[in-house]
Amino acid sequence: MTLNKQIELSVLHNLAAAETAPEERWADIRKESRSALSQTAFPHRKIEEWRFTDLRPITRTEFVPLENAGAFPVSGAETYFIPESEGSRLVFVNGRYQEELSSTGPLGKGVIFGNLAEYEDNPVVQEYLNKLLNYEEDVFSLYNGALLNDGAFIHLEKNAKAEAPIQVLHLYTDSAKPFVATPRLLVVAEEESDLTIVEDHVGLGNNVYMTLPVSEVKVKEGAHIHHVRLQRDSEEAVHVSRPIAYVEKNSEYHAYTITLGARLSRNEPRVVQEDEEVDFTLDGLVLIDGNQIADTHSVMDHRFAHGQSHQLHKVVVNGNAHSIFNGKIFVRKDAQKIDSFQENRNLLLSYEGLVNTKPQLEIFADDVLCSHGATIGQLDPEEVFYLQSRGMTEEKAKEVLTYAFALETIENVKIESVHKLLIEEVNRYTRANSIQKETV
Amino acid sequence: MLELKDVYAEVEGEGIEILKGVSLTINKGEIHAIMGPNGSGKSTLAKVVSGHPEYEVTQGDILFNGESILELDPDERAHAGIFLAFQYPVEVPGVTNTTLLRESYNTIAASRGREELDPLEFDDYIREKLDLVEMNPDFLERSVNTGFSGGEKKRNEIFQMAVLQPSLALLDETDSGLDIDALRVVSEGINKLHTSEDAVILITHYQRLLNYIVPDFVHVMRDGRIVKTGGKELALELEEKGYDWLDSQTTVNGEVK
Ligand SMILES: Nc1ncnc2c1ncn2[C@@H]1O[C@H](COP(=O)(O)OP(=O)(O)OP(=O)(O)O)[C@@H](O)[C@H]1O
Ligand SMILES: [Mg+2]
Repeated sequence: MTLNKQIELSVLHNLAAAETAPEERWADIRKESRSALSQTAFPHRKIEEWRFTDLRPITRTEFVPLENAGAFPVSGAETYFIPESEGSRLVFVNGRYQEELSSTGPLGKGVIFGNLAEYEDNPVVQEYLNKLLNYEEDVFSLYNGALLNDGAFIHLEKNAKAEAPIQVLHLYTDSAKPFVATPRLLVVAEEESDLTIVEDHVGLGNNVYMTLPVSEVKVKEGAHIHHVRLQRDSEEAVHVSRPIAYVEKNSEYHAYTITLGARLSRNEPRVVQEDEEVDFTLDGLVLIDGNQIADTHSVMDHRFAHGQSHQLHKVVVNGNAHSIFNGKIFVRKDAQKIDSFQENRNLLLSYEGLVNTKPQLEIFADDVLCSHGATIGQLDPEEVFYLQSRGMTEEKAKEVLTYAFALETIENVKIESVHKLLIEEVNRYTRANSIQKETV
Repeated sequence: MLELKDVYAEVEGEGIEILKGVSLTINKGEIHAIMGPNGSGKSTLAKVVSGHPEYEVTQGDILFNGESILELDPDERAHAGIFLAFQYPVEVPGVTNTTLLRESYNTIAASRGREELDPLEFDDYIREKLDLVEMNPDFLERSVNTGFSGGEKKRNEIFQMAVLQPSLALLDETDSGLDIDALRVVSEGINKLHTSEDAVILITHYQRLLNYIVPDFVHVMRDGRIVKTGGKELALELEEKGYDWLDSQTTVNGEVK
């Protein structure tokens, strides 16, 4: 990279530069990120990875620093608390930690969790924070680093089992002017530990804001993590997330991402295999409508032998919505006996909806089992007729079939209240669709 | 109960004519069998009566209880009491048998003036119907027909019929795919369900089914028309001679010309 190359300044560059009083905390990371950011160009559609993604919801908005945004006070936060996490809840409003709303009782021996800012001197934080990030030429994660402040920190010591799921709840309020939030999550699960995380992003109003969550997850030998990521941002919001996980020997990492909100979302989950005998999942469910754009670019990087991975990415598109999927599966030269499954299934409910899908396999080992596929389809008219012939109206039949399509991906979310909530969300989506159709 | 008046039907938008003037009258309490070679239009006839959107009636009329049903959607026909047991039952992944039946039973019950059942009552009711076709309760929680064997799908169709209690049942080759014991069980189930108030149309290739369920009339369909109508002995004659002997005597809609 040539230093001081001329790059066109984007809203993120300007905002980072306008940041006046840099925090004492993590000065190195902030400085480093800021300087890298100033050398990194904002993406555009001529770059292959951004070909299909309309970034105008970002480029055409005048975002201001959170301090100048005139954010409204938060209300009704309790509505989003899950009962299983009473005692294990970290709440952030517009990216800032809220002690009064959080609930941090003891969660079992060796389970440490809380606001990252309070763990600045913790050796685990010092060892891993910002070190696990690996996104090339990425202004979004660099911006997050340049403004690093607080965040969620979860550390499981060897053999520690979290007795309840930890809910990391991000609430975003309406504001006079659009702001940018930079949530951060660091999870380090030591040998043989066990943890369930529910990461939930909720827009409380319907204003424009942008959130750029970064999460770094380290799953050490024999550890298990179940990670539910729920995105219910405001319909006008921008959500660009960078969740990356490293899986060591005999470990398991299972992530389920549910995308419901945001005008524009770009989700780039990555899993990097660090040793043999791992098992990981990157499942996704996307339900979009109106003018929503939901883009998932994932990487599953198999670097060692004997790995098993699973990615079922299901998408329902209605209205003028646009879904983009690019799923990269790398199997490196010595990664023999990899068993990898990837499928992207798209259900297109409207003529105006748009789907771009590109499963992408790059395999350099010869003894592997990789299946992948992508389908785009409408509801099967034979199925609709079958249900109608049993007395269901056409609307009801379509609702039931859409629901059935979506359900497969949320079956694996084991937390009862979250599972229920997801069923309600799916129902709300399918019902909204049939109501819309009836009024057309 | 059901009256087809010189019905012509084609594949919607493609102009392929499949039914070429079918006339048929079915009264309450009757059992009719329709036989005929492959591709003669038997399934199409059943689908046209139940309102499949793939076919368009271009001429003639279909009356159910004296009123034309051509303008009714498939669900409205189901509400009126028409039921089709599919030749190839459709797999509906993600929708369990119970979900389908509870939804269907209650909408049909509401529109036919029967009482809706609460979940507990429905459970008892459904168990009774399972026994009727000797079906394992495990099938209730499985997705409709998904991964069912050929015979299991057919049995499931009759189970649904037992639950929904239609007044006109069109059974399209329900016998094919069933093993010998299953055929007996399912046939007995159909006989038990049949009363003087409802009617059954059996589409079949095999006389054997008609030993179990004795038809009042047997019709032969060829090339989109009913070319011969007779009593149950016609089925035996067909079994013996095949369909070609019919060529020597031309009949149109059951009338010798
Ligand atoms: N959608 C369609 N498009 C084109 N041709 C069709 C369509 N549906 C039915 N046909 C044709 O109409 C004819 C009658 O089909 P149908 O399924 O009704 O026959 P069938 O009598 O039930 O035969 P079988 O005994 O094999 O079940 C066949 O030649 C079939 O190929
Ligand atoms: Mg047929």
